[in-house]
Amino acid sequence: MGPHLQFDHVTKRFGEVQVVETPFDLAIARHEFVVFLGPSGCGKTTLMRMVGGLDLPTTGEIRLDGAPVGKPDHRRGMVFQSYSSFPWLTVAQNVAFGLRYRSDLTEQEKAVRAERYLDLVGLYEFSDHYPNQVSGGMRQRIAIARTLAAGSDVLLMDEPFGALDALRREQLQTELRRIQRRDAKTIVFVTHDVEEALFLADRVVVFSKRPTRIVAEIDVKSRLGEERTLEMRDGEDFFALRREAIGTVRAAAGGEL
Amino acid sequence: MAVEGRAIDGPAAGAPAAPDAGSRRPSAAPWLFRLRAPLPRYVGPAFAVGTSFAILGLWEFTARLGLTTPMFFPAPSAIFLAMVRMFAEQHLLWHAWISTLRVWEAFLLAAVMAVPIGMLMSGYRAVGAALEPAVDFIRYLPVPALVPLSIIWFGVGEETKIFLLWLGTFFQLVLLVADDMRRVPQEYVEIAYTVGANQGQVLKDVAFRAMLPGLVDNLRITLGWCWTYLIIAEIVAADSGLGFVIWAARRYMKTPEVMAGVVLIGFIGLATDQLLRLIHRRAFRYLA
Ligand SMILES: Nc1ncnc2c1ncn2[C@@H]1O[C@H](COP(=O)(O)OP(=O)(O)O)[C@@H](O)[C@H]1O
Ligand SMILES: [Mg+2]
Repeated sequence: MGPHLQFDHVTKRFGEVQVVETPFDLAIARHEFVVFLGPSGCGKTTLMRMVGGLDLPTTGEIRLDGAPVGKPDHRRGMVFQSYSSFPWLTVAQNVAFGLRYRSDLTEQEKAVRAERYLDLVGLYEFSDHYPNQVSGGMRQRIAIARTLAAGSDVLLMDEPFGALDALRREQLQTELRRIQRRDAKTIVFVTHDVEEALFLADRVVVFSKRPTRIVAEIDVKSRLGEERTLEMRDGEDFFALRREAIGTVRAAAGGEL
Repeated sequence: MAVEGRAIDGPAAGAPAAPDAGSRRPSAAPWLFRLRAPLPRYVGPAFAVGTSFAILGLWEFTARLGLTTPMFFPAPSAIFLAMVRMFAEQHLLWHAWISTLRVWEAFLLAAVMAVPIGMLMSGYRAVGAALEPAVDFIRYLPVPALVPLSIIWFGVGEETKIFLLWLGTFFQLVLLVADDMRRVPQEYVEIAYTVGANQGQVLKDVAFRAMLPGLVDNLRITLGWCWTYLIIAEIVAADSGLGFVIWAARRYMKTPEVMAGVVLIGFIGLATDQLLRLIHRRAFRYLA
């Protein structure tokens, strides 16, 4: 089976600004959790938006299941750092929004499905709240549940936990990893937090500052296995890996992280 | 996981009532002179009503003392009596109704046109580029300057009034709507695209909904301007409406009647504004 998602010689220019200069190649396997780690401004968001179909590569191609990605659709769900849910819809309506434009499902099927994912992310009892009435962590869960309900098998997450406090981040990271294993999702996740990257990823891709290239890949899966628990975070293995990774990232950033 | 802090301001509904800010130190009223401090319930309205009556009282007192000439600056009581008489003898209610109707007719016409056009102008660069110069040009034309032209085109009937009001509001509103639309976070639009919405659905289900609170506010403000243009239109070319009443009373130097007309417009404006604010609060509870 070929890769689920493939970047093939991708470059991107916005007018005069050459954001991704060196042709970018990367293959992401089905059900793989890949984290993009790199200095800000190096083009992580741009690469992710191109996967989502929200921007077009200037040259090269991004393929999903072997076929070039086209316009955005429900197979690739986005979770943004802010404005990730609609304030005028209740929590339940926000999750159901993921299914709103699906004509292949009956209203009944949509309701059942939305409810299931609402439950999965632990928001069932907050169904009738508005996003402004729940915490920032819950707002990000809404967004995750919405993309899962939509049936996306690729989740694109751009620093989704960036605005949360440390405890809530840990909790959401653990949950996200659990959901990814359970529902077998392919996830591309952007962060600039080394610990978050290592805890979540099967593989961490470390970017240099511009001109952007991949300076290192950390195979976290072979070091830590697939199961991630809170206890692991305090373990020797995680600690050692973290120290190594920080060294790599520092070198990559050239003292600018 | 529990609901953590609803927001910064105030306890959540159903939470045990926190002691009033003032009740701990009853000697002082710390909320009164602390920068941006919230007021306890009923204190705000009390101040509003109190001050209004104080101003009225002072005015009445000054007039009664003979410090003003009744001919130019009659007492509130004289204005009130004039208004009562006008309701009874001069069909004031009917004139007010006619004016209100004209305002709403023109306003709704302007709004119904401005909302889609404004959204398209900021949604599609080409539409914006095409229309912006014309809109901006007309927006700066003072409405009174167009009265003669309007009379040449439409005569002195209803059409002229509606046209002038529409002219005064539509072009302002279009730009306000375009601004509201511009402020809709790009994330909202992109979320909709990634769950399979098409452009029309994005405009209708997301952009319009996201900008609605701002839109209602802008409509409320524009409605106020409508009254300004209405009076101009009614003074120039009308035999009904509050502008006509005021202008007719002026001819005989019936200052209390002139002021009664003005005050009535103020009341209608105040009532409409409060009503629209109430609707805003009710409809957009989720903003709280
Ligand atoms: N639409 C755009 N037009 C022009 N420049 C852009 C645009 N989007 C991103 N850029 C530029 O591309 C660079 C990379 O941005 P981004 O992908 O957001 O980086 P990262 O997510 O890694 O911080 C930045 O310098 C940014 O200013
Ligand atoms: Mg970014």
